[in-house]
Amino acid sequence: MSPSCFSLILAPATILATIPGFAADPIDFSREILPILSNKCFACHGPDAKKNELRLDSREAATADRDGVHAIHPQDPTESEILVRIHDREDPMPPADAEKQLTEVERLMLDRWVRQGGDYAKHWAFVPPVKSGKHDSIDGFISQALTQHSTGAGFAGEADRATLARRVAFTLTGLPPDPDQLAHFLADKSEDAYESLVDLLLSSPRYGEHQARYWLDAVRYGDTHGLHLDNRRGIYPYRDWVVRALNENLPLDTFITWQLAGDLLPAPTMAQQVATGFVRMNPTTSEGGVLPEEFQAKNNFDRTETLGTVFLGMTLTCARCHTHKYDPVEQTEYYQLLAFFNSTAEKPLDGNKYDYGPAMKAPGDQAAWTRWTSLEEDASALLKGIDGLGQSEDPWRDRLVKLADPDGPYKSHTAHAKAQALRKRIDEAEAAFTTTLIAKELETPRPTQVLMRGEYNLPTGERLTPDVPSVMGDLPADAPRNRVGLAQWLTSDEHPLVARVLINRVWQRVFGDGLVRTPEDFGAQGEQPTHPDLLDWLAVELQESGWDLKHMLRLMVTSTTFKQSSSRRRDLQDPENRLFGRGPSYRLDAEVLRDVALWASELLDPSMGGEGVKPYQPSGIWLAMAHPASNTKKYERDQGRKLYRRSLYVYWKRTSPHPMMTLFDAPSREASCVRRSRSSTSLQSLALFNETQRLEMARMLAQRLLRERTSDEERMDLLFTLLACRPPTEVEGRACGDLLQAMKRRYQNDDASAVALLSQGDAPRDTTLNPADHAAWAQVATTVLASDIALLLY
Amino acid sequence: MNPYHPHFEQRLMMTRRQLFGRSALGLGTAAMANLLGPSMASENAGPAGTGTHHHATAKRVIYLFMSGGPSHHDTWDYKPKMREMFGQDLPEHVRDGQRITGMTAGQKTLPVCPSKYRFTKQENNDSGVWVSELLPHTATVAKDLCVVHSTFTEAINHDPAITYIQTGSQIPGRPSLGAWLSYGLGSPNENLPGYVVMHAQSSFAEQSLFGRLWGSGFLPSDYQGVLMRSQGDPVLYLNNPAGVTRQDRRAQLDALVAINQAQHQRFADPEVLSRIKQHEMAYRMQMSVPELMDLSQESESTFALYGEEARKPGTFSACCLNARRLAERGVRNIQIFHRGWDAHGNLPKEHESQCKDVDQGCAALIKDLKQRGMLEDTLVVWGGEFGRTAYCQGRLTPENYGRDHHPRCFTVWMAGGGVKPGITYGKTDDYGYNIADADGNPILPQPTKDHWTPGTMHIHDLNATILHLLGIDHRRLTYRYQGRDFRLTDIHGRVMKELIA
Repeated sequence: MSPSCFSLILAPATILATIPGFAADPIDFSREILPILSNKCFACHGPDAKKNELRLDSREAATADRDGVHAIHPQDPTESEILVRIHDREDPMPPADAEKQLTEVERLMLDRWVRQGGDYAKHWAFVPPVKSGKHDSIDGFISQALTQHSTGAGFAGEADRATLARRVAFTLTGLPPDPDQLAHFLADKSEDAYESLVDLLLSSPRYGEHQARYWLDAVRYGDTHGLHLDNRRGIYPYRDWVVRALNENLPLDTFITWQLAGDLLPAPTMAQQVATGFVRMNPTTSEGGVLPEEFQAKNNFDRTETLGTVFLGMTLTCARCHTHKYDPVEQTEYYQLLAFFNSTAEKPLDGNKYDYGPAMKAPGDQAAWTRWTSLEEDASALLKGIDGLGQSEDPWRDRLVKLADPDGPYKSHTAHAKAQALRKRIDEAEAAFTTTLIAKELETPRPTQVLMRGEYNLPTGERLTPDVPSVMGDLPADAPRNRVGLAQWLTSDEHPLVARVLINRVWQRVFGDGLVRTPEDFGAQGEQPTHPDLLDWLAVELQESGWDLKHMLRLMVTSTTFKQSSSRRRDLQDPENRLFGRGPSYRLDAEVLRDVALWASELLDPSMGGEGVKPYQPSGIWLAMAHPASNTKKYERDQGRKLYRRSLYVYWKRTSPHPMMTLFDAPSREASCVRRSRSSTSLQSLALFNETQRLEMARMLAQRLLRERTSDEERMDLLFTLLACRPPTEVEGRACGDLLQAMKRRYQNDDASAVALLSQGDAPRDTTLNPADHAAWAQVATTVLASDIALLLY
Repeated sequence: MNPYHPHFEQRLMMTRRQLFGRSALGLGTAAMANLLGPSMASENAGPAGTGTHHHATAKRVIYLFMSGGPSHHDTWDYKPKMREMFGQDLPEHVRDGQRITGMTAGQKTLPVCPSKYRFTKQENNDSGVWVSELLPHTATVAKDLCVVHSTFTEAINHDPAITYIQTGSQIPGRPSLGAWLSYGLGSPNENLPGYVVMHAQSSFAEQSLFGRLWGSGFLPSDYQGVLMRSQGDPVLYLNNPAGVTRQDRRAQLDALVAINQAQHQRFADPEVLSRIKQHEMAYRMQMSVPELMDLSQESESTFALYGEEARKPGTFSACCLNARRLAERGVRNIQIFHRGWDAHGNLPKEHESQCKDVDQGCAALIKDLKQRGMLEDTLVVWGGEFGRTAYCQGRLTPENYGRDHHPRCFTVWMAGGGVKPGITYGKTDDYGYNIADADGNPILPQPTKDHWTPGTMHIHDLNATILHLLGIDHRRLTYRYQGRDFRLTDIHGRVMKELIA
């Protein structure tokens, strides 16, 4: 990394100018100049410049002879018009009334660049990544940048083992380590103790559930259509497929291909088709009076632009109406990319229907999937070796039916009876299937043209064939011009963006912030990577590993970088941790905060998948907003175990998600989100202390403490061990002890209050416990659950 | 472990959070830091929170949003000539091939549908304003209103139109007007949320509202609106559960603060300190919100003004009274959503009820603010997402009719906060169908980045003007997302200088 990168952010220009060697340092166009040109000049002089207007987005254009004047003089840089105009007080560039003006630092940078010859280079993110060869590990890159930093600091010390266990368990599974797991790890003195823990966590089914949530944010997964009536939509088998794919560590290139084009693969499996729910994830409407052609266009915009955010780390939205101002994507190219989606079979309006087709039937939860898979295996085992059935190209389902047909050619075959029994089981399983939306291709694609200003009713120009933006490389030569070809392009090793964009988001979820801190924008306007060579190394490593996500996560969490203490350092001025010179630290996400408490109170129901669940929610929230004809106007909360499922499974109504999710920064899932904000608000405090489920979880946790331990001291130890992986410190022990005693005194003579507090939520209370003690512990548990030892990753 | 050093703390506090946190003064430092650009913040910034872009004539805004699209024909836009045309087909040259929704596109005729209501001319500070008999109370404050007859939008259906006027884009995903305002304005109140949203009751709660209308989109979620509810807890999870007193909560918070401070000692993470502050604010809110909602100290004259309805939580009048109380307590950004204006059929019955819901509250709010000396720096805005058609949807009789959506012109009024009082702006043609010039000839505005048609107010112009009155330049209140400096008005919007005093 260039040492000037850091200083530039804070140092005034006057200081910069005096740094010896500053003017002579060779400039890096892509990282240092392009962002300035893009942000301050391209609005008029960029790819979308008016005809005959000066363009500064290529050297060829910038050095052109314009009536004897050269913006950049090709032979004598000091004669460049740019040098004059950016300093000219009378006739400055940008013009005095421009919204964006150059800073002093930027003027100096441009000066330097032009004087050094004014050379251009391609924006870094459009050049395919290569391993630089400088280092061969995460730590090598991070350590080098740390040592090069002015203070010459190295890594921080390692976090203590308990904290590390908690950190890695949260990172991989979204839950703390099991007390047994933790005890075993702390006692395990072998060299690979930590690696064993990591392997254990990576193989936990909780892993896929946690990692899936990031993907569902990005693809804007919701259980409702999202617009107008915001009716129910059948799509949760897609969510369950994502969880399964991640748990099985499906290579990410396959993961992408199935989602974009599973239906177009030869003889697609049920899973490959369910995965295409991705293509159907855009919000839809059937508002009375809307025009289908308008929403055909809007649905396509949404899918094209989401593709941009999720895989390309680029906004393409600008190019919907005009050629991109900053990044070299032309309007025509936008519509060529859109054309890949303009041939899917669903109607533009959803009819407000749950089974807004094309849809298929699929198993309703993970257990049903597992049963189905074993039925499939049984069938193929049975069919194997039977003449005319074993080798056939027909779907196994049809072949089994033939074998089981009492009037068919196999009625006297030895396997016939078995086939009949199996068929019965299969029929039963299928009867319990649920609906899920999938993609299908029209036989004849809809014609695609450029829409003038993005207006659905202003198609113009020639009919376009599907294609990709040329700045990101070409479609592979033999790729079909459909969604399969699109997936082949995205997952090819030559693609400059996809691996970088994906691995940056993985880094972000492990370390709290990405190497590119604008994960949604790798374009000229985005932030530069803090560690460019590392980003490229990781991207190539991802490709070379066969797109192995677990491998990449293992590399990250076993690095020294990850294991550092997360305490702020006095020897390193880096408040935003851009150098990654301390361990990750941030407030946990909405889902995790709820899951931890469910887990600690032993309420957590481990069942996986199925229809979205509806935990407690204050009454009237949906009704106050919903259309009277909507089938999601009434929130009818679930009963029994469904109240305690992981938050991943909480029902997602896109126009009004659960308040415990949105209060803690979950997005609405109406649009793609690849980075959640992490706010800290007073409303969160109220929710942590007063929400029904929080109170229920706290009293059940208290109940656990009272039953599993006999003394208050042991109980406090267990409480802290569950939430912080360690016993309380003296200060914490005293604060909680005082609270406990005060609450015991307070509830001793107020049974009614104690029982009232212990009546929050449906979970049955152990009435053999003394209500005053139980209520007092519940208050302590609520408090510790709301405190930063439980709220934060550290 | 790091010992606690105040100086060290100071420097640590200069994190993104600090830079992007809210300011108690003027233009939020968040917005300030961003509009200066990340690399310019330290170079060009004046002292922290140096205020707004320019002098603000309004310190706060109360936006009365009529969701569903009120009929301008039956409220504010008097078209006597339509009476002569009753039931005749709308002349082809009026519509001129413009698109209409799928709900009336199939009708054999588009019969001209004059309003059945009587209009009277109210004196204002100009040449007067015609007001329908459905709004007798609002008519009495005509001298305070700036009535714009030529507001227009491109969206023709509810979801896109309401998303458009409230977020500047027809497709979900952008921050709401309210979120932009709270990002720009910050919150001067330590005890109440900076941006409060209320849903008023209606007998015809057709059409849906969406979280995105007060959501923060890609802005940090701190800026989303806080719903003030009329049932259950007024603010979600405000009240302690049964069996927990205020003293109990204090004891819990004391323990929590001790735990968090210990956490801070270990990690020196400034976020921990900011969260302690939020817990304390929540504790204060548990007092200040009930105090806000408690109307027992309001005088009888208040209820005479707002009507007895104001005693019933959740009515539009009660929301207006709450809005005034919020404004008095320093809340700068208040929105009331009233649903049920989507009168495709039975318009008279529905609009009579709708107008009755809001009429007295609107007038009372303006009078009340005025008598307290607050109208001059409080901007009040009234309007919906589009207007309604000049032609009838369904069966037309002199007594009953319906109207479809109409984006090409509708009426919005503003009051206080530096707008010209007692004027009207813009005209529509004799059919209330097209915006018209002074001679009544139709104007078809095609706003572009650099072009505005005099006599018209696009919804982007309205939003630019709202921001302007609050001291914010809509072109400079930006947030970088996906490489683009987004703003509420996209690349459009023009401040309506003609409406500003």
